[in-house]
Amino acid sequence: MEGLIPESLNEALDALSKERFIPVAGGTDLMVRYKRWKNLTPALPYPPLFISQLKELKGIYRENGEIIIKSATELSEIEKSPLVPSILRKAVSQMASPGIRNMGTIGGNIQNASPAGDTLPPLYVLDARVVLLSKNERRCLYIYEFIKGPGKTERLDNEIIYEVRFKIPTHTHEFYRKVGTRKANALSKLSVAALAQLNEEVLEDFRISFGAVAPTPIRRMEIEERIRGKALSKLDDHLIDEIAHAYEKHINPITDQRSDKTYRKKVTLRLLKAFLYQIRSR
Amino acid sequence: MGNREFKVVGKSVKKIDALSLAIGEAKYTADINLPNMLHIAFLYSPYPHAEIVEIDTKEAEKTPGVVLVLTYKDVPNTLHTTAGQGYPEPSPYDTRILDKRVRYVGDRVAIIAAETKEIAEEAKKKIKVKYRELPYNIDPEKAKESERIPPEGAYHLLPTIYEPEKNIAAGITLSVGDVEKGFSESDKVFEDRFEIHYANHAALEPHAALAFYDERGRLNIVSTTQVPFHARRITSRVLGIPVKDIRVIKPRIGGGFGGKQEVFLEQVVGLVTYKTKRPSKVVLSRKEVFISTRTRHPMITWYKAGVKKDTKEIHALRLKALMNAGAYGPHALTVMANAGSKVLPLFNKIKHLQFEGFSVYTNLPVGGAYRGYGATQGYFGFNVMLDMIAEELGIDVLEFFKKGHIKKGETSPIFEKLGEGKEGVSQIIRSCALSECIEKGSKAIKWHEKRRKKIRKGDKVRGVGAAILMQGSGIPKIDMGAAYMKMNEDGSFNLHIGATDLGTGSDTILAQIAAEEIGTSIDKIIVYSSDTDFTPFDVGAYASSTTYISGGAVLKCARKIKEEILKVAANMLNVPQDALFIEDGTVYTKDRTQRVTFSDIALYSLYSKDQHQIQSVASNIGLESPPPFMAQFAEVEVDIKTGRIDVVKFVSAVDCGQPINPALVEGQVEGATVNGIGYALWEEYVFDKKGRMLNPSFWDYKVPSIMDIPEMEVIICKTYEPTGPHGAKSVAEIGINGPVPAISNAVYDAIGVRLKKSPFTPERVLNAIKEQGLKL
Repeated sequence: MEGLIPESLNEALDALSKERFIPVAGGTDLMVRYKRWKNLTPALPYPPLFISQLKELKGIYRENGEIIIKSATELSEIEKSPLVPSILRKAVSQMASPGIRNMGTIGGNIQNASPAGDTLPPLYVLDARVVLLSKNERRCLYIYEFIKGPGKTERLDNEIIYEVRFKIPTHTHEFYRKVGTRKANALSKLSVAALAQLNEEVLEDFRISFGAVAPTPIRRMEIEERIRGKALSKLDDHLIDEIAHAYEKHINPITDQRSDKTYRKKVTLRLLKAFLYQIRSR
Repeated sequence: MGNREFKVVGKSVKKIDALSLAIGEAKYTADINLPNMLHIAFLYSPYPHAEIVEIDTKEAEKTPGVVLVLTYKDVPNTLHTTAGQGYPEPSPYDTRILDKRVRYVGDRVAIIAAETKEIAEEAKKKIKVKYRELPYNIDPEKAKESERIPPEGAYHLLPTIYEPEKNIAAGITLSVGDVEKGFSESDKVFEDRFEIHYANHAALEPHAALAFYDERGRLNIVSTTQVPFHARRITSRVLGIPVKDIRVIKPRIGGGFGGKQEVFLEQVVGLVTYKTKRPSKVVLSRKEVFISTRTRHPMITWYKAGVKKDTKEIHALRLKALMNAGAYGPHALTVMANAGSKVLPLFNKIKHLQFEGFSVYTNLPVGGAYRGYGATQGYFGFNVMLDMIAEELGIDVLEFFKKGHIKKGETSPIFEKLGEGKEGVSQIIRSCALSECIEKGSKAIKWHEKRRKKIRKGDKVRGVGAAILMQGSGIPKIDMGAAYMKMNEDGSFNLHIGATDLGTGSDTILAQIAAEEIGTSIDKIIVYSSDTDFTPFDVGAYASSTTYISGGAVLKCARKIKEEILKVAANMLNVPQDALFIEDGTVYTKDRTQRVTFSDIALYSLYSKDQHQIQSVASNIGLESPPPFMAQFAEVEVDIKTGRIDVVKFVSAVDCGQPINPALVEGQVEGATVNGIGYALWEEYVFDKKGRMLNPSFWDYKVPSIMDIPEMEVIICKTYEPTGPHGAKSVAEIGINGPVPAISNAVYDAIGVRLKKSPFTPERVLNAIKEQGLKL
């Protein structure tokens, strides 16, 4: 099987318009997913289209109150960039190991759409949008519209993830916790990312997302809406329990080789409450 | 005796294979490729227990590039044990190369040899097998009532409890005093159950073997083995090829930890090469290492201890152990026995003792030797019980440890009553610095500043815990190692040893022992080891024996060759032998008026007069097995929201006699400690209901990464063991025994929860908090 190393984004899009390729941006997940016997090349289902070297797909920018991260930007760049909100940097800094963060890209992590994908919960709470390019079209989808299921996204075969963009958040509180087996190179048992904005005793904004506890990360706007705009004095134990209860039916983790469903559910809800208590204590 | 002056011993000299390993020149088994070589793959059972009704290999055989397909119909059906132990092995003969019946998910069904590994792997998918599934059991507590697992005719060479029809692979009971009486005389009786789990050695180098015929028609086998001589003996017996026609070579090894004390690949490559007359090689994948090699035996232990309030001592102690041997019984007797024999003597003042141990067959992966070898399993409950008792008595557990542990000049009746599958050997402890280890270790961990303080920061609570341990140094009156030396013209020496360096550095420390004794420098010693044709016998690297047993042989051998050197020098100088001494490769008269160098002596002996080869050979058996001692301390931080445990500091204080190479001692202790921390926290076989391992890769089976390694401190509390070479005892295994109990005790100190089932995953910690009804 022969791959293609395009010299420009146009060449890549052109190639994709004619033939089916599997875009490779880092390949740290692809190499594992399609691995064969050691020392053998992975059994990719389609020829690889290498895109990490394309300059058009690299870089982190600030533009009109938005942060733009080009899709082939390495995780290690994101981890280091002062432009990137700390919630995303925190999540990225706990991913895999330095070697993999040097190879892996944000676009790759998004397209891999793992239930345990660690950039996803922060991108969910940032209301990030994914920009897709094909030869003749540009589409822009919210991350929670883009991710469809384990390994499944809205990307069409002729498209490349071009960039991720989101408004610079103005939160006063943030929360990120990942529970993994060990400190490096461990998939999440669960993760929680959350932002909140407190303005003169009023909870003006509240967003929370949970990873690895369902086929896709969870974010429930209708529950967030119930406490958005509430005075802090209303955020009593009763309301916190009610919120936790409301999330309970959406958190449906599985038991697998990494953890069990009871643990995942219990700890997720505990961390949700912990964040609410943290907000309450200002 | 405590502080001898050494010139080579006690120095952290560079490992003699360091450079060749660092630049990639040194060869591992998998690195060796021969022209015309076949590659071997295995087909494994997908069922926990089944009979092969039909097996059709025609399609596989027709695949281009496939040379040989073997099923149970095509291989010798000799019952044997894969345990690489001395003869007669204290393990049941219950295994065949391939059998009509498969007994666990991962048992071998067929062997495929092809021109390439890929062809062999592809061809195995074309083998059609019809299985009849049989009732299976994965619960050791139900083993006795379950469907028989071992084959008809399975037997044990030793007169020991072996009841294959009841799935009992081994059993031992012994008593000292009257334990029931002891309990009734006690003021307070403690009783608890502990469960310790399946784990893999996770040596970075997977198991591999290579066979070829040399020009004289002898079968050469290169193998990742800890036991080349046992491998030769067992391969010979299983294949019916005389020992004289087999040569086993051990090249460099990337870690053994007991996992390579097993002989299950040598007979396969031997058979394929025998049948095809072509070289053949097998290198297991990581998945195969997990599912089809050997594991740490899981064990359930029940401790019952009677305590007297006035003396604040344990008056009676009973240990019941139920070990899960898995589908076959290698080491089923001896690992289980060691849970008693390496643990009970540590508190030697207990008047009434009872040990009752059973090993049972289940349809799960096969247990085997693993660093710690039963002591790891036994010490978990033991140290947690001591922690519980000390708390109840209202005394610091460290004081309780110091008062109770065996001391220099003392003995324990267990030494004599319980050995490796038979009675043991009585011994008196001649060196012990355990109290000093406890003292120094507690200072390093800041015990008194931190214990019972429950320092809390947010969701995280800190605690400290400790464990004390002993191991052995070889198997007394059983293990033997031998060494051969000869002198060359330039005053260098060839040192040939059967001993097996697994990456441990034994080639280096054995050279240090020789250089020290002869009075020369280490660069004059040329080490060649582990080749059944060219080195004398050695049982191999296991049971913490190499420094003590093989090192003892090297010391004796060096002493003898020194005598030979002095004899020649005396002739050359025409003075009596006792008027001479050796310093830095030169023989001097005591008044230093005359001297001859080693090179002069060698040249003289080879070419001048009364020509002969200056050489020596010596064998050594351990008459005793002096235990190394250790105190280990863990400081943990428990996240009470998630149940996650972080080990923040770990201290190991060890008495291994005189360290031959302090850097390698520290390396062994740190390695064993990290090995133990991973085992305590995460490393675990996760099975489904049918005993299929769900996490057979490093993707899901996590060993500690560099990020997880806490601040570590190793403290060497030097003693001099009079029976050991230059005062040395063993050090390789002991450090893995403490992390499980020390972490469990530290978690109790932090949050008041007793963890009695390992590993201590966040899930189990939260469960324990819930079960013990704690509000945090």
